[in-house]
Amino acid sequence: MAATEEYFDLLPLDLDPQTKAVQAPANASKALHAELAALNSLHRSILTLENTPQIPPPPIPVNPKRSANITKLKDSGNDLYRKGKHAEAVKMYLLGIEMALKRPLWEPQGLVREEVAQLFANRAQAHMALQNWAEGAVDAEASVEAKRAGNAKAWWRRGKCLLEMGRLDEARDWVGHGLEMEGEEAELLALQHEVLARLDKKNRHEEAKALSEKA
Amino acid sequence: MFDIDWWSLALPFGYIFVLGSSLYVFSTIYRKRKAAESANLAPWFPPHLQKEVYSTLLELDADKDRKTKVPETVVRAALLRRAVEDIARIIQVRQAKQALNTLLQRGSVGEDLNQRFQRAEKEIEEELKDVVMEANALAPGWGQTIFQSANEIAANTMLRSRLDEIQNKAAAEKEWWEKRREAIQSEFMKELEEEPAKGGLKIGSDDDAVLVDSGTPVTTPSKKKKGKK
Repeated sequence: MAATEEYFDLLPLDLDPQTKAVQAPANASKALHAELAALNSLHRSILTLENTPQIPPPPIPVNPKRSANITKLKDSGNDLYRKGKHAEAVKMYLLGIEMALKRPLWEPQGLVREEVAQLFANRAQAHMALQNWAEGAVDAEASVEAKRAGNAKAWWRRGKCLLEMGRLDEARDWVGHGLEMEGEEAELLALQHEVLARLDKKNRHEEAKALSEKA
Repeated sequence: MFDIDWWSLALPFGYIFVLGSSLYVFSTIYRKRKAAESANLAPWFPPHLQKEVYSTLLELDADKDRKTKVPETVVRAALLRRAVEDIARIIQVRQAKQALNTLLQRGSVGEDLNQRFQRAEKEIEEELKDVVMEANALAPGWGQTIFQSANEIAANTMLRSRLDEIQNKAAAEKEWWEKRREAIQSEFMKELEEEPAKGGLKIGSDDDAVLVDSGTPVTTPSKKKKGKK
């Protein structure tokens, strides 16, 4: 025991008698306050556990209740989308995303990624149906962030949104990157052709403009 | 026969004495400096804040005079936070290891960096053992799963912060696009007005036409005017 001599500075911590939240005086460092905020939120989620003693269970198996709820929200979003109620579908997907991100942190992140990637991709599609290209692009990017490989739809959707917004260079880079990740996906290839054609046209158009200005 | 002339030997003896003592002085000073240097090597990691919080909470718990006891769940949460930070540190050490070895072989970095690194490696090993022991003390059998949980927490936190970052861009992107769309529309309108006058020259209007077409329900000039009013 002597080998691991414990030197540490006692931190000026205190507990709130009611909420049991750990507190530090206002003049403590920012890092300490951030750490205590994280600690208290972790404590709150530990308190919701039903097993005794209350310790976070191993990542697997997962409590199926929340997964079922998220699937339900996604399905109702899909239904609304199919009926053409795109704005309501967006709201439904948002609820699903919130629910998925509120999973306790110790649950497997792979599961969260999977669910969130689906929901964001679907919301991007709903935004695209509403012609909200900017939001669609952001959602598709989030979906790709959550799940990089095997998510060709999200790659395609952001590429399409960028194309619609006329951000051709970005679209070309993005789709090229997507093709690297996804291999020769037919839809992505078609989109790449479209982007390249538009870029080509734009370049020629600019050249023509420059020429006509010279002449 | 044994008549040694001590006086004539004084010089060599003096020489040996001076040599020996100067060597001794040099070696002690050198060693002291070396030890001080390695003790003063900057630690690889900044102070372990989570560990300090945990230890402080234990101290508070041990203090019998306090009115509010520290609940066990808080202590557990603090230990879990500590494990999460350890995970981050392990990842950092593993990532640094390979790069550092390459740099050392090439001679690009000094030996003291290597020493600091090795010390950090040892420290983190001790720290892991310590956390497992503490976990088992708090709840039997928790030591086996605490790092699994901590690993997921670390990964989940990272994922959420990335997603937040992306989603926070949404407002700015939207604003940009609204402005851009207006600009394209007005440009398109100008071109439409110019077109009959210019006649043959058709400058990229179908390019922008797609944009306006898809961006807004406005397709014809007359509708556009209506929208503006």
